[in-house]
Amino acid sequence: MNAQLFRLKSHLAGWREWEMNPIVIKELRQGVRSWSVTGMLMLFLVVLFVASLGFLITSSFDATANLGLGGTMFSCFVIILAVASMFFIPLYTGVRVAGERAENNMDLLYVTTLSPTRIILGKFLCSAYIVLLFFSACMPFMAFTNLLRGVDLPTVFFILAFLFLFVCAANMVAIFLACLPLSRPFKFLFVLYGIFQSFFVIGSLVALSLELLRSGVGAKMAEPYFWVTSTTVAAVVVAGAGLFFVLSVALISPPSANRALGVRAYITAAWLAGGLLTLYWVWRQSEARLIMVWQTVTYILMFCALLNVISNADRLSLRVRRAIPQPAPGRALAFFFFNGAAGGLCWVAALVALTLLGGNAVLEVKKWMVTVPGGADSGIDLFLSEMRITFLYAFSYALTALFIHRKFLPTRSPKLAGLLALLLAGGWAMAPGIFLFFANRLSRKSIEGLQLGNVFNVLYTRDPSELVWHLYFALGWLVIAIFLNLGWFRQQAGQFRRPTEITLPPVLPPAS
Amino acid sequence: MKVEVQNLRKEFGKTVAVNDISFSFDAGHIFGFVGPNGAGKTTTMRIISTIEEPTAGDVLLNGVSVCQEPELARRTVGYVPDSLPAHGDITVHEYLDFYARAYGLKGGKRTQAVEAIEEFTNVAGIREKHLKALSKGMKQRVTLGRALVYDPDVLVLDEPAAGLDPRARVELRELLMLLAERRKAILISSHILTELTEICNGIVIIERGKILETGTIDEVLKKSAPRRTVAIRLLEGNHHQNPQLIRELLQTPQVENAREVTNEIHFELTGDESAACDILGMLIAKKFKIIEFRQTKANLEDIFMNVTKGGVQ
Repeated sequence: MNAQLFRLKSHLAGWREWEMNPIVIKELRQGVRSWSVTGMLMLFLVVLFVASLGFLITSSFDATANLGLGGTMFSCFVIILAVASMFFIPLYTGVRVAGERAENNMDLLYVTTLSPTRIILGKFLCSAYIVLLFFSACMPFMAFTNLLRGVDLPTVFFILAFLFLFVCAANMVAIFLACLPLSRPFKFLFVLYGIFQSFFVIGSLVALSLELLRSGVGAKMAEPYFWVTSTTVAAVVVAGAGLFFVLSVALISPPSANRALGVRAYITAAWLAGGLLTLYWVWRQSEARLIMVWQTVTYILMFCALLNVISNADRLSLRVRRAIPQPAPGRALAFFFFNGAAGGLCWVAALVALTLLGGNAVLEVKKWMVTVPGGADSGIDLFLSEMRITFLYAFSYALTALFIHRKFLPTRSPKLAGLLALLLAGGWAMAPGIFLFFANRLSRKSIEGLQLGNVFNVLYTRDPSELVWHLYFALGWLVIAIFLNLGWFRQQAGQFRRPTEITLPPVLPPAS
Repeated sequence: MKVEVQNLRKEFGKTVAVNDISFSFDAGHIFGFVGPNGAGKTTTMRIISTIEEPTAGDVLLNGVSVCQEPELARRTVGYVPDSLPAHGDITVHEYLDFYARAYGLKGGKRTQAVEAIEEFTNVAGIREKHLKALSKGMKQRVTLGRALVYDPDVLVLDEPAAGLDPRARVELRELLMLLAERRKAILISSHILTELTEICNGIVIIERGKILETGTIDEVLKKSAPRRTVAIRLLEGNHHQNPQLIRELLQTPQVENAREVTNEIHFELTGDESAACDILGMLIAKKFKIIEFRQTKANLEDIFMNVTKGGVQ
């Protein structure tokens, strides 16, 4: 702690020598020189200019003064800016990062003193500067709309700030996708998917901007609710971008690094902060069901995390093992956050259990304090039951896949365990349908009937009272799966300690 | 600066890329790293450069472990991979400046370091050229400059001469010898073994992740070819004397296996250089018209072919 404080002090003391992230400088040099950035910027300016000219010429034919012309023009500019920045900049950023990774330049960066965090931060900051460049280019046109009336300055700045935030988040997603260790065809598919998704995001952003423009931000600024809502939305976007940031850092970190630590620590912190934020909203709105938003987001994240953690290798690298704390409490805590499938499973289980308990506690307290109508209550109970059973199944499939991988495919990549879990869950979900199809008994009614072991059946079962059978079945399966993996888990926990330093034998006689 | 590779082992799944190898070399030495493709050279070099972590063993760079203190070790090693710089759209100066920044050089110190390295690697004249416009030889110089920009004590070069024309190879060789004079410890892998013989002080021959031979060039040559082979050529038109010469040689002590090889007489000399001198004197005294009397040295290529089997993992 003292050493860190000393480092921080000396860093602050040497502020005269502070320099920009080298990645930002290099990327910006390449960016301003590339035809894609300058070409897109020129095209963007031309479109803005033509649009402004069009508006001015058409309005000049009107005999009466159009007092809303500024607002109309601003809406048009926001659409142009959103399309240009949401499509082009993330695509440009992603392609550059992917190209650099494909050319093995990352290896050269590993041997420098730049950390993976600084590399990703550099890429992100560069993309943010390019966004700023586009926004700055747009600024004179935006300011011009204010002169034409119909839009107030707070609205202009507020909309631009939010748009900037969303474009930066989209850039972070693009960097993450580019860092994924996938082949070009897969990355191309992701790009297509990204473009498809960006239509939706652009549509939503434009709709939100137009709504804000219509209602006017300036008038709402005095309301605390407006700021609370805006801060919550901004926090969620920043948290999402942060998640993709830590994931990207983990992806480009050397294989011997403790990739899990940053990601798990960040998710835990975000989970906690998200929980507190949701609690605030529950208290503010007196609406206990809002806690389900936090729970649902956590469950989705934990499903993905579960697949990832069971794909972790059992054997930790020397660098990771050397970082394991010596004292038992520190070691126990580190077990949850360091690389490794066993610790990862404990971490997911702990977060899921705490989310369920936390959610239940909030609902119980609210029930006790306020009388909630019966209909809403049963809806919450059903949701919680479904989540509980789904997670019991998810753990059962994950542990079964781990067992199969360890027993029958021990020499194959640990990533296969994650794939196996997916295949088992998917295969078992499809098997009844295929059987019913060949038995000529496939119908909606038959699909909605009880299918034990089918994780999707939990969500679309016809009779919710049948969920209890799913619960018993999933619990039984989980107990068996835990029993099958108990030996392995004990071994992993036992081996999770700092290696004893071995004195190496002397080196062979020197060459000269 | 001393580089000590200690019982290094690296496994990739079931494949053992490097199997318990140990060797060491000092500052001012150029150490050759030779082996067939897939022998484990690049993996070893990547471990020394802190890019990979060994499964077991360690590498000490002046006592600093690449496993325990990779950040510290990284500051003493410059790595030149077998691929050339891929950032096509930046200039030579920007490329070197970027890496100087990435290694933490600041302000005037960075400017000085970059300019010095541009001078040293002779790229100052092309500093404003884009990397994509450079020849392979020039790109190799820039790559070497990148590895040297923060003045590391150890230089690890993976196939730096691959694909270079003869002039570029000679220039690279001269640069490396200059660096050795500046007390850098250099580890270089190459398939051009004749060049390694000329510049290296020591050598490691590796195959299937295991060391087959290691030592100074002379030690390895002696160990693998302990006898000298001497070749004699008679004056044109006197080749009819060859059988007589062979008989004469076979009767001489310290001579074995005298035979005719394309108009020359080759024999194995078990004695030292003074024995060779005596034999020459004796043959001249016996009126053999000798135009050439030379010792044919076993070269690194012969040794490489003898000790390796061409196996990969």
